[in-house]
Amino acid sequence: MSSVDHTPSGSAPDAQKWVDVQASDDFAELKRRLTKFVFPVSGLFLAWYLLYVLLADYAHDFMSTKVVGNINVGLIFGLLQFVSTFVITTLYVRHANKNLDPLAEKLRGEIEGDGK
Amino acid sequence: MNATIWSLSAIVAVAAVTFLLGYVGSRKANTTPDFLVARRAIPATRNAAAISGEYLSAASFLSVAGLVLKDGVDALWYPVGFTAGYLALLLFVAAPLRRSGAYTLPDFSEARLGSVHVRHVSTFFVVCIGLLYLVPQLQSAGLTLTTITGLDAWLGGLIVTVIVVINVLGGGMRAITLVQAFQYWGKLFAIAAPTFVLFVVFLASPDRGTQPISDDGVVRFPQAEKVTVAEQPVKVRVDEPLTLRVRGTIDGRDANGPVFWGRGVYELKPGTVMEFTAGSPVPVVEGSPTTNRDWTHPQTGGLSELIGTYSLIFATFLGTMGLPHVLVRFYTNPDGKAARRTALHVLYLLGLFYLFPTVLGVLSRLHLPQLLVTGNTDAAVLMLPEAMVPNLGGQILGAVVAAGAFAAFLSTSSGLVVSVAGVVSTDIMPGKVRDFRWATVFTGLVAIALAFVLPRSNASLTVAMSFALAASTFCPLLVLGIWWRGLTWVGAVCGLVVGGGVVISAQVVSVVSTYTGRWAPAFITQPALITVPLAFATMIVVSKATRRRVPPDVNQILLRLHAPDPLGFIRDRDIARFGTAEEKARLADGKRSGADRTR
Repeated sequence: MSSVDHTPSGSAPDAQKWVDVQASDDFAELKRRLTKFVFPVSGLFLAWYLLYVLLADYAHDFMSTKVVGNINVGLIFGLLQFVSTFVITTLYVRHANKNLDPLAEKLRGEIEGDGK
Repeated sequence: MNATIWSLSAIVAVAAVTFLLGYVGSRKANTTPDFLVARRAIPATRNAAAISGEYLSAASFLSVAGLVLKDGVDALWYPVGFTAGYLALLLFVAAPLRRSGAYTLPDFSEARLGSVHVRHVSTFFVVCIGLLYLVPQLQSAGLTLTTITGLDAWLGGLIVTVIVVINVLGGGMRAITLVQAFQYWGKLFAIAAPTFVLFVVFLASPDRGTQPISDDGVVRFPQAEKVTVAEQPVKVRVDEPLTLRVRGTIDGRDANGPVFWGRGVYELKPGTVMEFTAGSPVPVVEGSPTTNRDWTHPQTGGLSELIGTYSLIFATFLGTMGLPHVLVRFYTNPDGKAARRTALHVLYLLGLFYLFPTVLGVLSRLHLPQLLVTGNTDAAVLMLPEAMVPNLGGQILGAVVAAGAFAAFLSTSSGLVVSVAGVVSTDIMPGKVRDFRWATVFTGLVAIALAFVLPRSNASLTVAMSFALAASTFCPLLVLGIWWRGLTWVGAVCGLVVGGGVVISAQVVSVVSTYTGRWAPAFITQPALITVPLAFATMIVVSKATRRRVPPDVNQILLRLHAPDPLGFIRDRDIARFGTAEEKARLADGKRSGADRTR
């Protein structure tokens, strides 16, 4: 299950480089940052959708609470479903640009620095 | 008659432009490198338009409006789901899949799991999903032609099939970004322009021959109306008693003359003609809300509707990542950053597009209540312009819509036929150019045969079924394959067979039920809520049981999938070479001994 079984003896430079990268803390950090964002966010996202349907089905009174004029909670939540899709996508793009790409650049610099 | 001529000329023009673009395109860049290199210089916005162009099918163009007309706010789950599916695709699979260098799902499964068996099973399901997705396109083409000209429905499907097959055979309609991008803006115009005009008409004459929609009561006919039941029997629900003239068969008994309907459900045989007077309540096809109150409130159907909606969310949210024609297009971005930007633009473009069918659906409720009787609501977008503007302007708007609808059938069908035929010819046949041609003809024939056999319902429902199939097969394969190193090929095959098998059986049962009185419960017509977890569970359990079969080079593969693009692990030559079992064997072998083994 681990790469220890096949430790390369400096044969192919590519393979050596790959193992180095995999072992590095930066790569672990990179993967951690990605998973820590992707899974909770998609879980929340799906839960939020499902919650809306559930509320619409079983909390009629709450959903029809009027907020302003004819606009009730259900309508606002419904529109928020659309908005949240865009918000999450924008967040992900920003997260990737801000937290993932710089680290990846750093990794690349290190590898190319002592590799080639 | 004038309207027919306008619409027919618009359709002929669309077909001609499609042919022309295909012809010009096939003479230009046609090799894979050309295609790839060209793609690298393309801005994310245009790429996004191309993706949206291919994605917006008959279901989006006609059926979303139809479902809004029939089911009201609940129908909005379709556009929400169709759009949100892209987010799941972006978060989970887009970047890793592109880094894998595999171009099709069977490629990916073989590369990841190192087994030809899993490749064959994947191929089978790619073909199934493609065909299931083609059927509603062809059926909607038939509907469009029937609505415009009154010709038989099978003719429209046949015409689209012939155009698509000839075009694909001639090498045309290749995935040329410009053509697809043009398709998106074409479709957007074809639906946005009529929406704007009709909305202005609506605002200018708020109560011309209609009733306020905020009324909580039943829908009523604004004027006297004659309605004919089409090919399939329908069940209608009556909420407020009415008198009408009927010629045909009600509940198995012949009727000819005035009939009184009290509250209840009536079954009408095909060919039955009903004449309603102005102001009489509209009987609504069974299963849809009868009153405007229910129509404007979400989730009025209790537990079974809750399950149905959950299933739909699961299917569309998780199924998008398993649609072969979408995937191929999606990850031909230059790098991860561009892929993310493209995905964001796709979301904007889809969100923008879906505004218009929704507005048209609401307007049809005011002007086309007769569609509620037959349930033939997919025709709403096509009929609305003439119903609201009964003059030359309306006819021209109608022609624009018809042309847009035809563009939708042609582009989506072409993309599907190309991807299905590509998979069939490379994985089942030896993969020569001639095989691709035979595969194209074969795909067309099977699709048109299925389109005749399967009952015609709203295109969105059939499309939702292919989403369910994708969500229950490729979603677990991709998500587990990319994020879990424990997946084995045995587990993958079992998961695919169980998930896909159950969805296909459910589809068969629901088809039988449609012909024999619609008795199937909601979880059979919308099975994703059960089948997706089932497929995931099967894959995980069987993989755990066959732990010894985890590919030895799994770490390398996962590193490759997750290493960010700037690391430079992905180069053009890798994209060309990675993906076959031999390559992987060579790679793993080379790592151990440094020898460069070829087969």
